[in-house]
Amino acid sequence: MRYADFTWYDLVLLAQGLGVSLGLFAVTSLFGLALGTVWAVIRYYGVPALTPVIAFVAELLKNSPVLVQLFLVFFGFPAFFKLNVTPVEAAIVTLTGNTAAFIYVVAVAAIDSIGRDQIEAARVSGLTRWQVLRRIIAPQAAAFAIGPLIGLMVNQLQVTSLISVIGVMDLTKIGAILNLRTLKPFIVWTAVGLLYYLAAKLIAGLGWRLERRLSAHSAWRGL
Amino acid sequence: MLFDPSILVPHLGFLGAGALLTVEACALALLGSLAVGAGIAMARTSASAALRKAAAAYVDIFRNVPFIVQLFFFYYGLPEIGLYIDAFTTGVIALSIAGGAFASDVIRSGILAIDTGVIDAAQVSGLSRRVIFTKIVLPIALRTSVRPLGSVLINLILTSSILSTITLNELTGSAKIVAADTFRPFEVYAVLLVIYAALTYAVSIAINLLHRRQNRHLGGEVA
Amino acid sequence: MIKVEGVGKKFDGVTVLDGVDLTIEPGEVVSILGASGSGKSTLIRCINGLEKLDEGRITVDGFDVAKPKELAEARKRSGTVFQLFNLYPHMTALQNVTLAPIEVLKRPRAEAETEGRALLASVGLGDRADAYPAQLSGGQRQRVGICRALAMKPRYLLLDEVTSALDPEMTAEVLNILAKLAKQGTTMLFVTHEIAFARGISDRIVFLDKGKLAVDLPTERFFAEDGGLANPRVAQFLSKMRKD
Repeated sequence: MRYADFTWYDLVLLAQGLGVSLGLFAVTSLFGLALGTVWAVIRYYGVPALTPVIAFVAELLKNSPVLVQLFLVFFGFPAFFKLNVTPVEAAIVTLTGNTAAFIYVVAVAAIDSIGRDQIEAARVSGLTRWQVLRRIIAPQAAAFAIGPLIGLMVNQLQVTSLISVIGVMDLTKIGAILNLRTLKPFIVWTAVGLLYYLAAKLIAGLGWRLERRLSAHSAWRGL
Repeated sequence: MLFDPSILVPHLGFLGAGALLTVEACALALLGSLAVGAGIAMARTSASAALRKAAAAYVDIFRNVPFIVQLFFFYYGLPEIGLYIDAFTTGVIALSIAGGAFASDVIRSGILAIDTGVIDAAQVSGLSRRVIFTKIVLPIALRTSVRPLGSVLINLILTSSILSTITLNELTGSAKIVAADTFRPFEVYAVLLVIYAALTYAVSIAINLLHRRQNRHLGGEVA
Repeated sequence: MIKVEGVGKKFDGVTVLDGVDLTIEPGEVVSILGASGSGKSTLIRCINGLEKLDEGRITVDGFDVAKPKELAEARKRSGTVFQLFNLYPHMTALQNVTLAPIEVLKRPRAEAETEGRALLASVGLGDRADAYPAQLSGGQRQRVGICRALAMKPRYLLLDEVTSALDPEMTAEVLNILAKLAKQGTTMLFVTHEIAFARGISDRIVFLDKGKLAVDLPTERFFAEDGGLANPRVAQFLSKMRKD
């Protein structure tokens, strides 16, 4: 028996889908942020073998479609590495890598924006490399990077919609299911679109609030 | 298991056809995006507050809703209102609408950067608003926006892979079929990744050349 | 005839023009002198409709520049040459000159181009007609600007400090052409700092002081001890200019 009409339970389904999307967005953003920053720091210290490899991988991930990256991980890895990869695992790995590539670019620009003279002054006064990183570079780089990061994050939220294609039950997948059942695409896809839109605005809003707090606490007012 | 890209060789023709479809779709979508983008940019810089708000809303919506949702909206929705368009055309329309939102930002910046003196000269010559926009403002804005518009094109190329979800056998869609035929998804998608990256690299080189050619004539006099 | 009646203009609360009355008859060459900020350029920009009047009226051959439809007619009758040239950067010199005749006067392209080339040749740019502004010197660009204004066969030529952005050599180039035009009977309204030049070709000199039209005299009367120089502001201004 097929219920072709909308029911209140559909709202629950949409909420669940949104939760999955946001959850995966949060996890992959965090991992991606960490990984991308590590890559940028590695580049900053000019580690011999790793730096060009990272640069190449980042370019590759930035300049190829996320959908293809998802297919590579979800379909390719099991065949090649004889692993079992669930849709969610594939989604996390792919989105983390993709986010990291973009974070890497922003982080590199942010770190480069800090004048070398500051770093030299700090090193000369006895601070270790780690202390310089933590106390001089990180706060200023973060303040610099927040603006571009907000745009990046909103974009990565849109990108999560592609994990529906490999079967993750995110908001888009729920939309596809509802569409198939009710055959009312205008209503379904408008609702899904609206939820993504609101989520994007929420993230951007939080981001700008964070930016204000960061600017308030750091002594450097930024450009 | 060895990485053996040679299994792709017998399928190169098929992939080539898919690539051709991608190129066609993106070329048309670029024209569409420029047309939509120019129109929206004109609306956003117009004297009418209503037009400005409507255009800003358009850009806001299509930048904060995932492309796949927009695509499904059109692909499943249009038949409901009696418009039966094939997947290719639907894809190009969806890409143009989304691309137009991004292009309008770029073109608008280009318009705002035009030396007001040049517009003064055009106005006192008695040229009508329409002529000023089509013969002076738009040509100058487009010439100075070559690089960022190149990014829009690259974005279109990467986004076009999503058209594979509406049964269009462009490059990604064809690759999926080849992966299924050869049982070697890893090789297929890995190579596909590199092909896309190479394609976007080629486009960015072409854009740089175009930018330099434009600058020779303009010589930085514009903004 | 250009008639300026009781014109007033404010920018951000600062009065830039205050009760200016001026009449330009066909065939006259009139120079507007004054210190920076005295409102000279603003007056020109009011006449060609780039600035809106706060008070007063300006008519060009009877067309009121405050009314959009009449402004279009007024603009057909006047041509403006700008201090910063304002050439269309994406068009060649010839295209710059022929755009308005083709689009506004609806002249056929071939005709407009022939006339355009002739105009450019008359200012010594015959061989540069297909060059882009970026490839031309400042003096050459301004000459293109003059041709662009002349291509519309305007009754009145408005010139807003057209040599201020040029070095002495190029200034001389341009002034020569303008002197020729004046001799040919073109009606011209100059805003300029080139006192000697103004004295040489003008029929009349107008002096603006802090937005007010202080003096309006025939040229030689303006520079006479008992004429324009009797006004202390004029004397002050001229002596300052001589010092530079």
